Amino acid sequence: MQPFKRSWVPTSPGRGQPRPTWRLGIDIGGTFTDFVFIDTRTGKIHTEKRLTTADDPARSVFEGINTLLEATGATVADISTFVHGTTLAINAVIERKGARTGLLTTMGFSDTIELGRETRYDLYDLKLRFPVPLVGRQLRKEVKERIGPRGDVLTPIDPDDVLEHTRALVEQDRIESLAVCFLHSYLNPEHERAAKQAIARTFPDLPVSISSEVTPSVREYERTSTVVVNAYVQPVVAGYLGRIESWLATRGLRGSFLLMTSSGGTISSATARALPVRLLESGPVAGMQMASLLASLRSDRNVLAFDMGGTTSKGYVVVAGEAEKTYQWEIARVHEFKVGSGLPIQSPAMKLVEIGSGGGSIAAIDRRGVLQVGPRSSGASPGPACYGSGGVAPTITDANVLLGFLGAESFLGGRMRLQTERAAGAIDEALGKPLGLGTLEAAWGIHEMANEDISRAFRIHAAERGIDVGGFTMIAFGGAGPLHAVRVAQKLRMRRVVVPLRAGVFSALGLLTAPIAFDVASTRRTYVSALTTEEIARHFTPLEDVAMQFVLKTGLPRGQVKISRELEVRYFGQGHEVVVKLPRRAGVTPEMIASLFHKAYQRTYQTTIKLDYELEVMNWRVELVGPNPRIELRQEQHESGDPVAKGTRLAHFNGPGRGVRAMVFDRSQLHVGQTVSGPAIVEEVESSLVIPPGHAAVVDPWLNLVIDLDQASGQHGV
Amino acid sequence: MAYDPITLGILWNRLISITDEIVASLVRTSFSTVVRESYDLSCVLLDARGHSLAQGSWSGTAFVGTIPKTVRHLLKRFPPETLKPGDVLATNDPWLGTGHLFDITVTRPVFRKSRLLGFTTTVTHLPDIGGRGFSSNAREVYEEGLRLVPCKLYDRGKPVAAMFELIRSNVRVADQVIGDINANITANELGSARLLTFMDEYGIEDLSSLSDSILSHSEQAMRAEIAKIPPGTYTNTVMAEGVDGDITIACRIDVSGDRISIDYAGSSPQSSFAINTPFCYTYAFTAYALKCLTIPDIPNNEGAFRPVVASAPTGSILNPTFPAATGGRHALGHFVPTAIFGALQSVLPERVLADPGLINLIRFYGRNLQGERFSTVYFASGGMGAHAHGDGLTATPAPSNICSTPVEIFETLTGILVSRRAIRPDSGGRGRHRGGHGQEIQFVNATDHPVSLSLFANRTRFAARGFQGGCDGAPRLVLLNGQPVDPKSQQELAPGETVDFAEAGGGGFGPPEGRDPSVIARDERGAMVKAGTV
Repeated sequence: MQPFKRSWVPTSPGRGQPRPTWRLGIDIGGTFTDFVFIDTRTGKIHTEKRLTTADDPARSVFEGINTLLEATGATVADISTFVHGTTLAINAVIERKGARTGLLTTMGFSDTIELGRETRYDLYDLKLRFPVPLVGRQLRKEVKERIGPRGDVLTPIDPDDVLEHTRALVEQDRIESLAVCFLHSYLNPEHERAAKQAIARTFPDLPVSISSEVTPSVREYERTSTVVVNAYVQPVVAGYLGRIESWLATRGLRGSFLLMTSSGGTISSATARALPVRLLESGPVAGMQMASLLASLRSDRNVLAFDMGGTTSKGYVVVAGEAEKTYQWEIARVHEFKVGSGLPIQSPAMKLVEIGSGGGSIAAIDRRGVLQVGPRSSGASPGPACYGSGGVAPTITDANVLLGFLGAESFLGGRMRLQTERAAGAIDEALGKPLGLGTLEAAWGIHEMANEDISRAFRIHAAERGIDVGGFTMIAFGGAGPLHAVRVAQKLRMRRVVVPLRAGVFSALGLLTAPIAFDVASTRRTYVSALTTEEIARHFTPLEDVAMQFVLKTGLPRGQVKISRELEVRYFGQGHEVVVKLPRRAGVTPEMIASLFHKAYQRTYQTTIKLDYELEVMNWRVELVGPNPRIELRQEQHESGDPVAKGTRLAHFNGPGRGVRAMVFDRSQLHVGQTVSGPAIVEEVESSLVIPPGHAAVVDPWLNLVIDLDQASGQHGV
Repeated sequence: MAYDPITLGILWNRLISITDEIVASLVRTSFSTVVRESYDLSCVLLDARGHSLAQGSWSGTAFVGTIPKTVRHLLKRFPPETLKPGDVLATNDPWLGTGHLFDITVTRPVFRKSRLLGFTTTVTHLPDIGGRGFSSNAREVYEEGLRLVPCKLYDRGKPVAAMFELIRSNVRVADQVIGDINANITANELGSARLLTFMDEYGIEDLSSLSDSILSHSEQAMRAEIAKIPPGTYTNTVMAEGVDGDITIACRIDVSGDRISIDYAGSSPQSSFAINTPFCYTYAFTAYALKCLTIPDIPNNEGAFRPVVASAPTGSILNPTFPAATGGRHALGHFVPTAIFGALQSVLPERVLADPGLINLIRFYGRNLQGERFSTVYFASGGMGAHAHGDGLTATPAPSNICSTPVEIFETLTGILVSRRAIRPDSGGRGRHRGGHGQEIQFVNATDHPVSLSLFANRTRFAARGFQGGCDGAPRLVLLNGQPVDPKSQQELAPGETVDFAEAGGGGFGPPEGRDPSVIARDERGAMVKAGTV
């Protein structure tokens, strides 16, 4: 693998800083591990890209770092900050390669994790499946203790009882990690803390995760699931981080080593080892950070990031520069990405939408007799039919080859020749013949169905926040993103599509733009009307203290931390809340909260209804954020002259039968200010941008390709 | 206009996503735990003729079957030409709606200017409807609470104040009831906005031809599957516990070509207690069972009802006449799919599910630790039946679908403590594939006030039957302070007293001798079955 050659120079290099001065960002993805290495004295950015060593991801990390150090002459001791994004935690859950984990629960509730919420996520599928619990029944023990629904102790905890169960789990069952979840611990964590202390004294080497530290939120199944996932991945993550840390330490690292969290901030590696559940979405978040970075460079305030890879598509909305978070989501779904078939997680994360449409998604005729694309995927192996690796089912990639969007000879920079005839054969066999459609008609159907599925998912995702992404800017990346970007953006009536150069590298760069951040929440029910300004401050203070401890572990000075406060509020009696962001200034009153709540409620549900009910605060949340690291990329020089095409190809932009000859460009040969007019295809190693007739892409000063869409053309038939 | 398979798929999926959004809004804005935690709700989109087109992926089993008929009843009272934008119609009549007073059906006509395009409709189970409260013990519907014959809740965008006052003044926990009705209205408001956007976006003037395409696709697919069932007559009789005697549910299924008809002649006459199952509910569960057996993977709509002809004698337990009491209609209605699966097990062994342990609805009414009144339903599932390809799921609702209320939420709302909620080992019927286990759950009245308890439990004597040589599941137990009580009764739980439920296991599938030894070992390790048993 050739290292990535192109480099940028920031306009304002860091000046006069004492050493160390280098910053390193490493993003491990499923296929590639991307590196950026910035010398803040000169502002020069060096990059590296390697295949991920799945059996031991640390290997590609070390190799990549060594390559960069050799190329630059820098040493580990020169690194001031190293920010890392990794899919290690989530993969441990998906592949069930976590630690042998035990669970202590309240007496009578060791089966909570297996009983779940007692619901079927599919009404008609009588053979539906649920995930097997991460902790088997024999590794779950019940402790004599009970906290009541008001946080009062009904049955005191007995440390000896805790130790007896723990001893059995450690000595007989050989557990490597332990989770503890007691009822109502979100209100009163004393019993969980007592258990943890007792265990730490007797079994100092056993990692223990307690739910009131991992996620102090109501709903025992979701909380148990979360603390169990934390315990399950903890030894894996700690082992990996320990290796990286000692490797860096022996080479004299003086700077800080930070991890990217699911919610887009960074935390110290000590925090990551204690709360690895916070890293679950670390991977995709780097890409989304990159999109936010680009948006701010370009002054695009309202953005939809669109990342389409091999198995899924992900979307993420930023409004007025602000991203939304979620605190309740699901991982490792076992049944066709169906909501409800995974493990629930209560932890802050950027609010992504993910659907089963990726390049490898399989197209088939479903039982309705209509075309369906995904969520089944051919994966990396056997892969799409056109890979010629044994795949026989037609995929989105097969359709894109036949439509001329992907070059058979230039895929992955020409390293893999795509077999057009196999793609055609697969499509004919599975769809064309049974539906009486020609090959191109069926291929177009697959392409268009994917566009529709993706835009539908994004539309709903945005609508759930009361947002219409019409008029927003799309930032498209991932192997298949640029192939579908313009069409999806049109369906969503978006204003502009931006396709970054070599998005993978930008993801690693995105890591370096993430601020140090930590948020914590706790459940504390109270009427809004019963609060006073002083009480509001009093509730928030302990949360802020906890979050501050984590933030200070990164070495950030206290004075640079900004604190923001949020309440989750509902009408008294409801079960779900809307988020009310409190103003930064002091002196928040109940009336202020009520007025913010009503606005948020009406916007969220698009309703005019305003009830005359008491308002109730459910969750109190604080987020502490450090300063945004500044990365200013130099704008490249404008070059005159028309871009030179490397060839032409027949492609089908507007449906089957109407093929047109498109110019094909090599992205690395395009320069700032040049315009590529459609019909055209711009190829780079990982992806190709499709520019339909009537549209044009301009290379902006950061080498992004930018397509402004005529909003009138947003209207579309099908 | 005919739609090609690609366009049709796109439009169809989009309609489903609109209903999903309506459901999400309904859950998030509702007040009762019955809706917000337990999801006792449904949502359907209908065309201007009242044909159902799409339903929320999360929808109650029965309601999606009753909604189209309820909407047509509403339109009889309020003909389409009299409807105006901003109108909202509703009813909870057991015979026109979902079979009992506790569910309200709320529908909103969707207009573009003055043209009626279709309807969005939701149903939720209300936390209270007055009368003697949710129970099996009423003798006539009059005792069961407030019956809203088809009425308008909103008239041209304005609430009909008299209706809201009437409801508010006739129910317990009025804030929750009115709050939930408002959640229905909010959700339908959102749904109609979304339907209009969708139609504008694709330039659709009228939903009829799209509706015809979707419905005929589903109907044809279902008929094609019916045609694969060997023609003939299949019968089955299942027994269930009534209030004052056992109840027989008999069914006779006639399959001929692509037609199927189900008749419930031979079933018991209607009861003088509140376990009667109005025919709308019987039909909905009949259609549901047949859809599961034929086209489980096709999104549901009215096309899947068309091939299903069902009948039950007037005055029978599955087709009672006014003013029969119907509050606990689910306690028998849930046996309908069971009866059908049992009848067809010999010809569709790969598709049926052995008898499920069924869900137990437990209604609690009292005062919580703050002294505030609560009225709520706790849903506890038995085990699901096993099938030809796997074990039954533990503590999973079937055939109805619901979600349990978290213990932490339930305790906070009621002050009642749940002292145990655990898998009930050895309760799933043994077999090549084991039935799902039930669960054990114990409640303690930890408040200072008596709590009134309504019980609807079934499967206390008639266990979930195994299929194809599988064994029966363990029956359900109900214990008040450790002593068995009438499982379909109203009880009072004094402070400090306990009530225990051991929920029924599902039936096994295939002879136990055929069970994979490694699976047995796994069950034994988890103490799911006693060692040494099969």
